[in-house]
Amino acid sequence: MIRYFSNIWQSITTLLIGMRITLVHLAKARKGIVTLQYPEERWPRPERNIGFSHDSYNVIRSRLHVDMDDCIGCLKCERACPVDCIHITTVKVEKGTDIPEANHVGITSYGTQKRLLVTRFDIDMSECCYCNLCVYPCPEDCIFMTGGPNSSKQEIDYEFSEFNRSDMIFRFAKVPKDQVEKYTPPPKEKVKGDVAG
Amino acid sequence: MVDLLLQKFSEVSFLSGMPSALLFVLAATLIALPLFMFVAVNALVAVYAERKISAFMQDRLGPMGQGVGLHAGKWGLLQTVADAIKLLIKEDIIPALADRKLFILAPFILFVGAFIVFVGIPFNQHILVADFNIGVFYIIAMSSIGVIGIIMAGYSSNNKWSLYGAMRSAAQIISYEIPLALSLITVIMLVGSLKMQDIIIAQHGLIWGILPNWFIFNNPFTFIAFFIFFISGVAEVNRTPFDLPEAESELVAGFHTEYSGMRWAFFFLAEYANMFIVAAMTSIIFLGGWQSPIPGFLNGPGWGLFWFFSKAGFLIFVMMWFRWTFPRLRTDQLMQMCWKYFLPFSLINLLGVGLWDLWLN
Repeated sequence: MIRYFSNIWQSITTLLIGMRITLVHLAKARKGIVTLQYPEERWPRPERNIGFSHDSYNVIRSRLHVDMDDCIGCLKCERACPVDCIHITTVKVEKGTDIPEANHVGITSYGTQKRLLVTRFDIDMSECCYCNLCVYPCPEDCIFMTGGPNSSKQEIDYEFSEFNRSDMIFRFAKVPKDQVEKYTPPPKEKVKGDVAG
Repeated sequence: MVDLLLQKFSEVSFLSGMPSALLFVLAATLIALPLFMFVAVNALVAVYAERKISAFMQDRLGPMGQGVGLHAGKWGLLQTVADAIKLLIKEDIIPALADRKLFILAPFILFVGAFIVFVGIPFNQHILVADFNIGVFYIIAMSSIGVIGIIMAGYSSNNKWSLYGAMRSAAQIISYEIPLALSLITVIMLVGSLKMQDIIIAQHGLIWGILPNWFIFNNPFTFIAFFIFFISGVAEVNRTPFDLPEAESELVAGFHTEYSGMRWAFFFLAEYANMFIVAAMTSIIFLGGWQSPIPGFLNGPGWGLFWFFSKAGFLIFVMMWFRWTFPRLRTDQLMQMCWKYFLPFSLINLLGVGLWDLWLN
């Protein structure tokens, strides 16, 4: 009989304890929520200390970026790429002159006079293996991993996700679409080293 | 209310020539349509509230969105609308080996069992479809029709999980009907009437000068009866601490495993209608129905609706609170709770209320 009533007492008190916990969580709903509404909200990027200056080392190899105003179309990065995810097409133009309708700047920030107009500079990031090998040969330091030595030029996009797979192909060439045909050479004189296609 | 409408119809010239049977059907439809709308809207609101409350209790956000057209609207307000559209356009599957006729009929019987109860529920002083002199008895009897629908669904699905769920549900509903009815009888003994409005009017005034004269505060026995009634009611509608008939972790989805689309939605609609009925019955019988907590204060017909819905809404919230706090009972625990704890206590209650009424009044 004592057990019978102690059972009742125990069940009532323990149930009330449980109900108090859920009610407290409901009342504090504004403060304690752990859900992050991902595309709209993001966790802050943690500061990382690797023991030496970030300027000389790629802290994060988050994504490749090309500064097209500095690109001279030398194809060194395309040749360095072990998975062939960089595709470049170039056209010979007058040395060191600006072509405003193709958004072409004649002289790079290092002072080099450009001989080639880059009509296509595609990087398929779904194939990229983040080896960073394309970064070292670049004579103008215009291709880099965001988060690396040139991170001040491009904001770090660490989530690096797209809704569509075709959006993973990043097209860096600045020549407008309607101008591309004008600069496309006839098939015979195809520029050497164009392995794209 | 049907009689009132028929009287109104006889005054309209172009309706007076029609046969009386047709006029009766017209009047009944005119009353049933708003009630059906109410049941559907109740389910829409309750589903949204349940998702949000459960989310907040678990430190989540629940359905969220950044505006119309994006995800589910501001604060996920369109979530249940999206759910309803999804259910409407889903494929309606009837298993090849199912008992076709019973399978099709089952969700409607369950829903009708829930819907027909609304005839007897007084929303305020005037809004009441029919004030039977056996109102409480009618509601208890009609709400038991639902179990037939559940057994039909379980049997006709030709699926062991469905049958297990249906059998559990039958055992559970029949068991919990007894403490439920016995707790009701305590109140009926004090009122001396089965009429819903009489029960509410009997709760007018104050008790000990401070508390409203609701039956929950009337005497210690009705206080216990309130809890037995409410918990048995939660068990009757198969809500979570007692959701053995649809226990996801054991029986897939219980008696509605084989249902999809709109037929499944009817089970869902019936569940939320039943939830509202239990909350409404508890608030009418123990919490004064449409009576204001302070007698004579804000007690008009409009405020009557407000008080009724706030009491019922609070009890629905408590049911959701139960659901997201308590783990499911085992079958033997469920039966033990009913037969070893609720039944003796409701019998003692019955005796106690009788003696209290005899000696103190």
